[in-house]
Amino acid sequence: MRTSMKELVEFIVKSLVDYPEEVVVNEVEGTAATILELSVADSDMGRVIGRNGRVINSIRAILQVMAAKQGKRVTLEVLETENR
Amino acid sequence: MSETKREIEVRGPDVESAIEAGLAQLGIGRSDVIIEVVDEGSRGLLGIGSRDAVVRLTPLTVPAPAPKPAPAAVAAVPAEQVAPKTAVFSEQLTEEEQVATEILQSMLEKMDIQATITPRLSPPDDLTGRQVLVLDIQGENLAGLIGVRGETLNALQYVTRLMVGHRLHRRATFILDVQGYRQRREKALTRLAERMARKVSKRKRPISLEPMPPHERRIIHMTLRNDKYVYTQSVGEGKRRKVRIYPK
Repeated sequence: MRTSMKELVEFIVKSLVDYPEEVVVNEVEGTAATILELSVADSDMGRVIGRNGRVINSIRAILQVMAAKQGKRVTLEVLETENR
Repeated sequence: MSETKREIEVRGPDVESAIEAGLAQLGIGRSDVIIEVVDEGSRGLLGIGSRDAVVRLTPLTVPAPAPKPAPAAVAAVPAEQVAPKTAVFSEQLTEEEQVATEILQSMLEKMDIQATITPRLSPPDDLTGRQVLVLDIQGENLAGLIGVRGETLNALQYVTRLMVGHRLHRRATFILDVQGYRQRREKALTRLAERMARKVSKRKRPISLEPMPPHERRIIHMTLRNDKYVYTQSVGEGKRRKVRIYPK
């Protein structure tokens, strides 16, 4: 079975945050590109983004390895959480 | 038995002073201990949230006034001679090894990459004598995992360190390597440093190298540390920080 980029992001992010149960990854799959939308607890935003976006950019770099193999483009966005 | 390893933990404003305080306390030299950085500490922002650096020193030999035991104890089984080295693989390192290997394994599986992971201990650092855990990733077609100038490998290392650190509640310091990439890179950087140093001393004019991440700049600085004709300095900020070689 082919593993999904969504699963990878979930796995990484859930092991980084304090509230893994609040991690949601939404995958919008197109033919040539995949968009992943990530949302986490407000208090975990900093952990996931990192100083100067270092964490999120590193996750993006890791995703590129998979995307390249699948011949796809992938975008990973962090959704700003509204008041919940 | 006098076999007990008397390891101690020392704090200091930074790693270097902690190590020195510890060595003084033990009354032995740097070459006689295994130095582990438990916490690199942090200066904090304007003195807020600053944290002491913590290092653990494990004496290699029992600090007894008696010189090295004469080969009288030759009767010892070879396995026992190896024993002190194994003991040095302290509990913390073993724990980091287990968790890091497990997490990296899952990562690679989810990335759909077939590879094996071999843990080892890095050779002691030239300056600090510090050894860290290295996880070697071996397999076929792993160039993509390294990326341009190791950027992908560094990203993977950064993220897995964070994941392991989060699980263990302390900073993880292991290094990821793919097919000996780090060593090849180190050799290439050493050669580059020497070639550029010759150029600088011949031309009597400074040369700047490409921007590099901290550990790569360090390799350059270390290579030319005792050079008679040139000295080095890092200039620039953040990602653009690079080494500049000056004639002496």
